[in-house]
Amino acid sequence: MTQVLIVGYGNPLRCDDGLGWSAAEALSRSLPFPEIEVVVCHQLTPELADSLRSADIAFFIDAAHDGQPGELSCEGVTLQLGIIRSHQMSPAHLLALAQQLYGATPRAFTVSLCGECFDHGATLSSTVETALPKLTALVEGLIRQTIAQPCC
Amino acid sequence: MEQRRTIVIDPVTRIEGHSKITLHLDDQGRVEDARFHVTQFRGFEKFCEGRPFSEMPSLMARICGICPVSHLIASAKACDALLAVRIPPTADKLRRIFNLAQVVQSHALSLFHLSSPDLLLGMDADPAKSNLVGVLEKDPALARDGIELRKFGQQIIERLGGKRIHPAWVVPGGVSEPLSGADRDAILESVPEALAIALRTMEWFKGTMERFREEIATFGNFPTLFMGIVKKDGGLTFYDGDIRITDASVKVVADGLDPARYFDYIGEKVESWSYLKSAYYKPRGFPDGIYRVGPLARLNVADRCGTPRADQELAEFHELQRTAVLSSFHYHHARLIEILYCIERMEQLLTHAEILDKHVRAIARHNALEGVGVAEAPRGTLFHHYKIDEQGLVRWANLIIATGQNNLAMNRSVLQVAKHFVHGDRLTPGALNRVEAVIRAYDPCLSCSTHALGQMALRIQLLSPIGEVLDEVVRS
Repeated sequence: MTQVLIVGYGNPLRCDDGLGWSAAEALSRSLPFPEIEVVVCHQLTPELADSLRSADIAFFIDAAHDGQPGELSCEGVTLQLGIIRSHQMSPAHLLALAQQLYGATPRAFTVSLCGECFDHGATLSSTVETALPKLTALVEGLIRQTIAQPCC
Repeated sequence: MEQRRTIVIDPVTRIEGHSKITLHLDDQGRVEDARFHVTQFRGFEKFCEGRPFSEMPSLMARICGICPVSHLIASAKACDALLAVRIPPTADKLRRIFNLAQVVQSHALSLFHLSSPDLLLGMDADPAKSNLVGVLEKDPALARDGIELRKFGQQIIERLGGKRIHPAWVVPGGVSEPLSGADRDAILESVPEALAIALRTMEWFKGTMERFREEIATFGNFPTLFMGIVKKDGGLTFYDGDIRITDASVKVVADGLDPARYFDYIGEKVESWSYLKSAYYKPRGFPDGIYRVGPLARLNVADRCGTPRADQELAEFHELQRTAVLSSFHYHHARLIEILYCIERMEQLLTHAEILDKHVRAIARHNALEGVGVAEAPRGTLFHHYKIDEQGLVRWANLIIATGQNNLAMNRSVLQVAKHFVHGDRLTPGALNRVEAVIRAYDPCLSCSTHALGQMALRIQLLSPIGEVLDEVVRS
């Protein structure tokens, strides 16, 4: 059974920086698969390596700062060795940590929308709100593809 | 011209928040004074003025990303006093579990993420390796245990409060939701592994102590008072009890003090060189009223833990020194005993017959205009004190945090370590690390979740009395 991990992170009190939370919550409502672990958090911390241990595929969803507001991007994560900092971890560092601690090597993607507003506030800008379904559809498509072809 | 020189360590690394240390040398190059400066300012006591008191628990939880639960608990207890209600027994137990879970995750962060590089690799280790990576390379099983133990605490907080950081589940009058049977069972299922991690970490730690004799002798190893809340029977508690103060000979100096009357016996002094106030025991004045709080103090003031494994370890702990356990190096050991206690105590509470009861909140409007809430946070006794007006708006707030209560002891500890390890006008990496490590032993929480731990540059300057830089070490 394919295990999926979705990590939405950022600050939900800084408008579009809460994208990860909104996307993760939307996906947890819409995805019909029981083998999905959804985590929302302010930042990536070493404890997430434990969640990566049992995942076959992982998505790290965060707002991007540079680019056109609402622009969608999705990139594969390459494991990055080197200094691992407990308070400022990237998906690549987390993958390295999971590999070192547990020998885990899930496929992983960073998925983002470029934010428009990072001011104080608990709502997404209309641009990001409008683009959010594109992001969730992309993630859902990748999950379905992985489940259909688990060895890829 | 007489030459007085100063070494500045700015910022201090692997602690929670922003600070610097200055070491003042005499004209022979010997350390004659040391200061631990807290350089950040938050202002929570001021900007909550005018807000409805019911918002206080959620507002106050934002003080910290590591120990928000302690602020939630102390704040909610202050609000309970404003409501003048007795919260339902099940809510009382659930709040206790919540606080204990936080102690586990916070202590695990301190011990495994921040201090284990020193303990595992040694105080003289290459600074580039003295971090999580170094621990991973040397002892991956220890790193795994740290991550899993912290996750254990965080998951309990998440199951109870809905999220790991800044949960708003604790409310004036109780908690907002009861515990489900499924969540209770899931937590209980994770207890044996957490207990196993705590026990094997304890064995590992005790095995390392022999290597740190010099540090044990010099890391804040001096007489002070110790303060904590204890149960009526003198047992360890993190939620409710009276204040007990003991001295270095384990003599009880004061007992049964009402925490709500803290202002009768705790004074606070403001120093021009730090945003952190220094608390002291009023009857002895400043600075003779120096006292310590937190794990070391709690285990010095408590007669017993009240759970089997923790009590076994406590008996051994009390044998470490003939007097009270004075060395602040033993904060690490005390932290591990408290982790054991917290896991055992949570299991007791979770198997209580009433724990799934649905009545978890007492509803009332404010019935008093002043309230004090006290709890034991991971780092020590935490006081929240609010005054409100007839409309229920906050008019005044005072918080006394654990780190402020340890401020005098931290300053004196830095001085003791520096006098022993810093010689002349040049700093060795080992001396630098020890000066920082003694601060880490206290696990000071200078706030917040937003600092970039491990990424901060560390700069030490050795200055002449006229400000001339004699030596400088920069760590990036």
